[in-house]
Amino acid sequence: MSGEVVYEIKNASKRYGSVIALDGASLKIHAGEVVGLVGDNGAGKSTLVKVLSGAHQPDGGQMFLDGKEVRWDSPRQALESGVETLYQDSGLAPHLTVSQNVFLGREITVGGILGKLGFLNKKKMNHDAHRDLEAVGIAVPASSRAVSQLSGGQRQAVAIGRAVAWAKKVIILDEPTNHLGARQANEVLNIIRNAKAKGLGVIFISHTLPHVLEVTDRIVVLRLGRIVKDAPTSEFTGDTLIGTITGTIQTIKVEGD
Amino acid sequence: MKRSTRVLAVTAAAALALTGVATAATPATAAKKIKIAFVMGAVNDPFFNAMKVGAVAEAKAQGVDLLWKGDAQYSAATQLPIVKNVIATLGKGDGLVLIPTDGAALQASNDQAAAKGIVVANVDTQVGNLSKVLIQITGNNEDGGAKAAAAIAKAVGYKAGSTYEVVIGLTSATATTNVARLEGFKAAVASTYPGLKVVDTAYSESNSQKAATNVDTWLTKYPNLKGIFAIDGTNASGAAAALQSKGLVGKIALVGYDAYPANVDLIKKGVFTALIAQDPAAEARLAVKTIVANIKKGTKPAKKNVTIANVALTSSSSAADIAKYTYKTK
Amino acid sequence: MTDSKQASAFKEQSPLRAKISSLLSNQSVVLLITLVVLGTFFQWGSDGIFLQTGLLGTVLDEWGSYILLAVGQLFVVITGGIDLSVGSTVSLSSVVAGWFVVQQLKVGPEVTGADALPYVLLIAGICLVVGLLVGLLNAFLINKLKIVPFIATLATMGASNGIAVMISVGMPLQGPNDWELGAPWNIGGIELPISTMVFCAMFITTIVGLFLHKSRFGLYTYSLGSNAFATRGAGISVEKHITKVYMLSGGLAGLAGAYSYVRLGAGSNTSGMGMELYAIAAVVIGGASLMGGVGRIVGIALGTLVLFVVQSGLLTMTVVQVSPDLKQVIVAILIAAAVAVQTLQNKNGRK
Ligand SMILES: Nc1ncnc2c1ncn2[C@@H]1O[C@H](COP(=O)(O)OP(=O)(O)O)[C@@H](O)[C@H]1O
Ligand SMILES: [Mg+2]
Repeated sequence: MSGEVVYEIKNASKRYGSVIALDGASLKIHAGEVVGLVGDNGAGKSTLVKVLSGAHQPDGGQMFLDGKEVRWDSPRQALESGVETLYQDSGLAPHLTVSQNVFLGREITVGGILGKLGFLNKKKMNHDAHRDLEAVGIAVPASSRAVSQLSGGQRQAVAIGRAVAWAKKVIILDEPTNHLGARQANEVLNIIRNAKAKGLGVIFISHTLPHVLEVTDRIVVLRLGRIVKDAPTSEFTGDTLIGTITGTIQTIKVEGD
Repeated sequence: MKRSTRVLAVTAAAALALTGVATAATPATAAKKIKIAFVMGAVNDPFFNAMKVGAVAEAKAQGVDLLWKGDAQYSAATQLPIVKNVIATLGKGDGLVLIPTDGAALQASNDQAAAKGIVVANVDTQVGNLSKVLIQITGNNEDGGAKAAAAIAKAVGYKAGSTYEVVIGLTSATATTNVARLEGFKAAVASTYPGLKVVDTAYSESNSQKAATNVDTWLTKYPNLKGIFAIDGTNASGAAAALQSKGLVGKIALVGYDAYPANVDLIKKGVFTALIAQDPAAEARLAVKTIVANIKKGTKPAKKNVTIANVALTSSSSAADIAKYTYKTK
Repeated sequence: MTDSKQASAFKEQSPLRAKISSLLSNQSVVLLITLVVLGTFFQWGSDGIFLQTGLLGTVLDEWGSYILLAVGQLFVVITGGIDLSVGSTVSLSSVVAGWFVVQQLKVGPEVTGADALPYVLLIAGICLVVGLLVGLLNAFLINKLKIVPFIATLATMGASNGIAVMISVGMPLQGPNDWELGAPWNIGGIELPISTMVFCAMFITTIVGLFLHKSRFGLYTYSLGSNAFATRGAGISVEKHITKVYMLSGGLAGLAGAYSYVRLGAGSNTSGMGMELYAIAAVVIGGASLMGGVGRIVGIALGTLVLFVVQSGLLTMTVVQVSPDLKQVIVAILIAAAVAVQTLQNKNGRK
C-alpha cells in the first residue's frame, strides 16, 4: 500500500424501501492506491458509489476525508472537497461539447461585469479542456465538438479524463470499461495507473475481473450489501475471486472498523 | 347559445377554482316562498352577468327566492350535475329557468323537472322538444346581423349602384352565434344592401390580439375598405384597438357586437359606429315573471316562443336606451 | 504516456463530413430559405402588396406578441419540459394590470400619449411580477409536488384563465395607453415596419438569447435537458435551475401580457387565448427538440417569423381567396410537417 488513508467509510447502510442495498459496509482508500470494488449485479456497488459521491445520503454510517468526518448534502460538496465520481452509464451530457462537459459546474467566466452575469470564456475552456485531458493521458478530438458526435470509447475517455483532471484526492469509477473494446479498455487502465501515479486514491468498479486483477492493489468484494472480503490483490487468482463473488468460497466477515 | 367558445377554453382547473355557484336570494321570510332556480351557461360571462342582474331584480319585484347556478365553463358535462342537483332541491310549485348548454343532453332533466311539478322555462337556447316547457325566450342573432348591415350602410352613406368593401371578423366556424349573425348580415345585404361587398372574413380563434391582427392586415390589403363587422365581443375589442392604433377612428365604419360598458364608451369617442346589443336582462325578467304568474294564477303566456330583438346602439341612441342595453355587472 | 497508438484510438472523424452534416442540420439556414420562398410566393399571390411596409409591420407586430412566449418556451423545452401556462399568463397578467390601473387607480382610456407612459411602465411591471409568480408556482408544482411539467402547467393554465375571467368579468379593461408605442417608426420620412413595441421584443429576445448561448445559465439549461443526472452529478442544483427557467418563461409571458395590453389598449382575458400552442409550434419549427437539449434562439426567432408570415400571407392572398377554414387547415399541416421533418432529422442524426 501507498500513502495515508485519504477516504474512509464506516458501517454505511442504505435501504430503498424494503431493499437493503448497503448493510454496514466499511472501506478505506489510501493515497496512490487503486481499490477494486467487485460483486454480483445488485450487490450494492453503485449504491456505495452514490453514497461516497454525495449523490445519495446513507441511512447510517460515517465518512472521513483525510481523517476528518464529512457529510455530503449534495454532490457539489464532495466535488469541492476533491472527490470525483464517474457514474455508471451517465457520465456526460451528449448535447454539450467536450469542454462544456469537462467544465460543467466549474465554468470559467470572462472578466468584468459580464463575468459576474455568468458569461463564459469559451476559448479558454476549450483550450484548457484540451490541455487537461491530454495531461491525464487522453488524446481528445477538438474540445468544441459535441459529445454526441463522439464514439462510445471517446465519450468514456472524456468522462474519465474529466474526473481524473479535477480529482484532488479520490476518484471513483463505476464500471468505466463497460461497453468498451479491448484496446479502449486498456487505455482506461492506463489512465487509472496515471491517476495512481499522481497520488490519487482510486476506486475501480468492474465486472471484467482480469482488468481488476491487473490494475488494482487491493480488492473489496460486496455481496448483498455487505463487504465479504477485503484483501490485497496478490491474494486472489481469477478463480478465487469468482468464488468469493458468487459465494461458493467461504469468506470471513472482515472487521467493520 | 352564446359566447361559448371563449368560456369553453377555461379548463377543468378553473372549474375547481370557481365553485361556480353564486346564489342571490332575497332574505328568507315566509316558510313557503316560491323558489326559482336559474341554471345558466357560464359564470363570469358578461352576457350571463347582465342576465343575472335582470333575474335578481325581477325575483325581488315578484317576492320569490332566486337560486342562480352555473359552472365556469359553458359545457353540458358540467351543467348536467348542477341541473340534477337543483331539481332535487325544488318541489311542486317551484320554478326552473334553464339555459340548456346542449339541447339534446339536457332534454331528460328538463322533462324530469316538469314531471316533478316544477314550472320550466328555457332561455337563450332550448331543448329539442319544448312540450314540457312553459315559455322559451331567446335573443335574435339573425336580426342582430341584419341590424349590423343596416348600421354599416347608414354610416357609409349607402347609395344603390355603388359598392362598398366590407370585412367581417369571426371567431370560428363552430361558434353558433357567429353563424346566425353572419347569416342575418348576408341576408340583409342580399335583400337590401347589395352594394355592401363582403371582401374577406377571418377567425380570431377567440383571441383578441389575433382579432386586431386580422383587422390590421385588412387595413393594408383593402385601401378602399369602408366597413368592418366585428361579430362578437372579442372581435369588437380587437378591431377597436386596430383602428385606434392606426389612427383610423371615424374613417372606417366599425360595427361591433355586445354592449360591454367600455365598448359603449367607445361609441361616444367614434371608434364604434354602432354596437349591436342583446338584452339578456329582459330575457331573464320575462322568464321569471311568466313562471311566477303561472305558479300563482295558472296563467299561460300568449306565445310559447318569444324573441327579444337586438338593438343597434349608436351615438344618437337615447341615454335611456344606452343605459338599458349596456351589460351590467351589478 | 500518450503514445501515438493511444491517440489514434480517439482519432477525429473527417472534418469535411462534419461540416457538411452540420450545415444540412442548421435549422436557421433552412428557415431563411423558407422565408425567402414564402415571401416570394406571397408577394406574387397578393399582387405585390405583401412585402410593403404596412403588412410587414403587421407581421412583425404579431411576431412581437408571440416571440417572448416562444423564447421562454425555448428554455423550458431545452430542459425537456413544457409550459402550457404561458398563454393564460398573458391574459392574467394583462387583466391584473388593467384591473389595478383602471379599477384601483381609476385611470381610464382617456389618458393617452406621453401622459400614459408612466402607466404603461407600471403595467409592464405588474405584468412581469404576475408572470414571475405563475412561473414560481409552476416550479413549485414540478419540484416539490413532483408533478410532470405537462400536468403542472396545464393546471396553472386553467387556474390563470379562471382568475383572469373572474377579475375581468369576461370583459376587456380599457385603460390608459400610448398608441404611438405600436406605431411604425418614421425615420427621415421613411416608414419602417418596426414599432417601439416590436423593438422592445427584439431587444429582449437578443439579451435573453445571449444568456442562452453565452452564459452559465444557458449552459445549465442545455445540460439539464441533455442529462439531468450528469448535471446533478456535476454539482449543479437541478431544482434551483428548473425554478429559474420556469420563472423566466413566466416572466417573459408576463411581458407578452404587457405587449398585448399596449396592442389592445386594454387588459383582456382573451388576449392570450391559445397562444401557448403557437409558442410551442414556433419552438418546434425553429428547430428545438421536445426531447430536450436542443434549440437555438436564432432558429426560434426565424421559426416564429415563418409561422406568422404564413398566417399573414394566407390572409393577404388575392390570387385565390383563402377561406378562414382552409387557412387553419394549412397552418395545422405546416406545423405537422415541421414536426415530422424534425423527427426525421433527429433519427438520421442519431447513432
Ligand atoms: N434508486 C433505487 N430505488 C430502489 N432500489 C434501488 C435503487 N438503486 C438500487 N436499488 C436496489 O439496490 C440494490 C443494489 O443496487 P446497486 O447498488 O445498483 O447494485 P450494483 O451496482 O452492485 O449492481 C439492488 O437490489 C437494486 O435493485
Ligand atoms: Mg452498478
